Amino acid sequence: MNAPMTSFNKPWITSPDGFRVPYEVFTDQSYYDQEQEKIFRGEAWSFVGLEAELPNKGDFKATAIGDTPVIVTRDQEGRIHVFKNRCMHRGAFLVRESRGNAKSFDCVYHQWSFDLTGALRGVPMRRGVRGEGGMPAAFDMANFHLDELRVANLNGVIFATFSETVEPIEDYLGEEIVATVKRIFNRPIRILGDQRQYVHGNWKLYAENTRDPYHGSLLHLFHNTFGLYRATQTGFSHMDASKRHSLLKVRAAAAPTSEAEDKEVYKDVRSYNTEFRLQDPSILAGRQEFDDGSTLIINAIFPNLLLQQIANTLAVRQSVTYAPDAFEIVWTLFGYEDDDEEMQLIRMKQSNLIGPAGLISMEDGEAVEIVHEAVVRDGKKTSVLAMGGGYAESSEHMITEAPIIGFWQNYARYLGLTSDAAK
Amino acid sequence: MNQAASAAHSTAINTLQAAYLSALDQGDMAGWAATFAQEDASYYCISAENDRRGFPLALMYDDCRGRIDDRVSFVTKVWVGTYQPYRTRHFIQPLSCTAAGSNQYNVTTSFMIMMTPEGGATKILTSGEYRDLIEIQGDKAVFRSRRAVYDADVLPRYIVFPF
Repeated sequence: MNAPMTSFNKPWITSPDGFRVPYEVFTDQSYYDQEQEKIFRGEAWSFVGLEAELPNKGDFKATAIGDTPVIVTRDQEGRIHVFKNRCMHRGAFLVRESRGNAKSFDCVYHQWSFDLTGALRGVPMRRGVRGEGGMPAAFDMANFHLDELRVANLNGVIFATFSETVEPIEDYLGEEIVATVKRIFNRPIRILGDQRQYVHGNWKLYAENTRDPYHGSLLHLFHNTFGLYRATQTGFSHMDASKRHSLLKVRAAAAPTSEAEDKEVYKDVRSYNTEFRLQDPSILAGRQEFDDGSTLIINAIFPNLLLQQIANTLAVRQSVTYAPDAFEIVWTLFGYEDDDEEMQLIRMKQSNLIGPAGLISMEDGEAVEIVHEAVVRDGKKTSVLAMGGGYAESSEHMITEAPIIGFWQNYARYLGLTSDAAK
Repeated sequence: MNQAASAAHSTAINTLQAAYLSALDQGDMAGWAATFAQEDASYYCISAENDRRGFPLALMYDDCRGRIDDRVSFVTKVWVGTYQPYRTRHFIQPLSCTAAGSNQYNVTTSFMIMMTPEGGATKILTSGEYRDLIEIQGDKAVFRSRRAVYDADVLPRYIVFPF
């Protein structure tokens, strides 16, 4: 077993040749347990769903923040609530369906009944039966309201937190991320479906992956083969002031790249083939949707959300943790309510890009798993994050790993690790 | 119109089903594509959850012959070296077959897919149901449309090959 993390301070070092992360953060149960308390149940806003998933009063969905099961619901006044999915009596799941519509939440075990605002409304046999049994006189149903989380709704994107003290969502995200959310959720959306996949690796490997512009055109050969994204395109890699979140953005060929430059940049890259042609190029025949000309936005929001625009695929990806070596990715693809038929078809064709079999996302699950399996007994060894300089600064290019370092510095801060990383 | 398929048509449909499974279980993507009609063919692989909720989002959305051919190229050319190899073994069970116009049949079949990763133990990948429009062309049958509706709410891994 690896040393407990309190005695661990050496490998989190920023040195001239890069920032190093010890692999035990991915494999040790002690880190996982600390993350649940200090991140997922700590000073952070976690994504729990989209308002469009709950169009009607009484609609609910079951999901999780980290590995804590929660219910997201819309009450009779239309307000969104998030509760722990746990009966206040003896701890059983209140909701076992992943979605539904309910007038109340009734525990199957002893049928304690909670209304949609979380208030306890019914306790069978509370006054006993034929004068026998029953709850004590001091029992007050008002003391058994469901454990309710703070909720923030930013343009229909629902976040929840266990913290009473975390800053308001706008301050938590920062101006540029708020603007990105508002830009994508600028009008009513239409849900197009969910995709779900178990990944046999640590959730933070995916947090790294989604803050990593360096891998974009190297792991995802579809990108450079078909010109959806190449490192020669213009873009930026920004972080918010706290560096928890990252915003990777590629602009449509503002400075057109030459084939000669492409060939030079990718000369060391396996199977880069500019001659490959699609039989059905309509998969890439999208529409320019946004005034800023961006074709690709990868916006990682700490700790569990990724908001993406890849061509005309708009999606949120939620990470749900299970164990140090297991998490789930939930993709929810959406368009807008006012999409015309052609636009709906464009989104469906391009949906082949994302998801568990996605042409530019299958490999992300693979990348997480091949790292996790390879490092499992090398907890004291470290990775190196050096591309772009090895420090967490925003840049006006994509050839960097800086946003990953921003994530780790915050991770160390949240967990209270004594290390250079927290400075 | 609920006409049973003639013996010749039944044989052609069974041969098609076998060719489809055989191609995928041998990792023969070109053989997989060859089971679809040359013109006007489609393949959709979609979760039962999205299917039930009426959502169009699919794991694989190949709405034309060109994209079926492109999927062959993605797996055999673009993705080469990217994914960990795995082998599959498909098992099917016929559920229904009804005539849908001249030389066409609506066919439903349940399926189970076993998956063996390179160097690993065999596991269930998922089960589900094929909902097909099969056309008899001469003495052979082809898929005009195959819709593989898989049962897993959460897929147990990333997916490379069609179901």
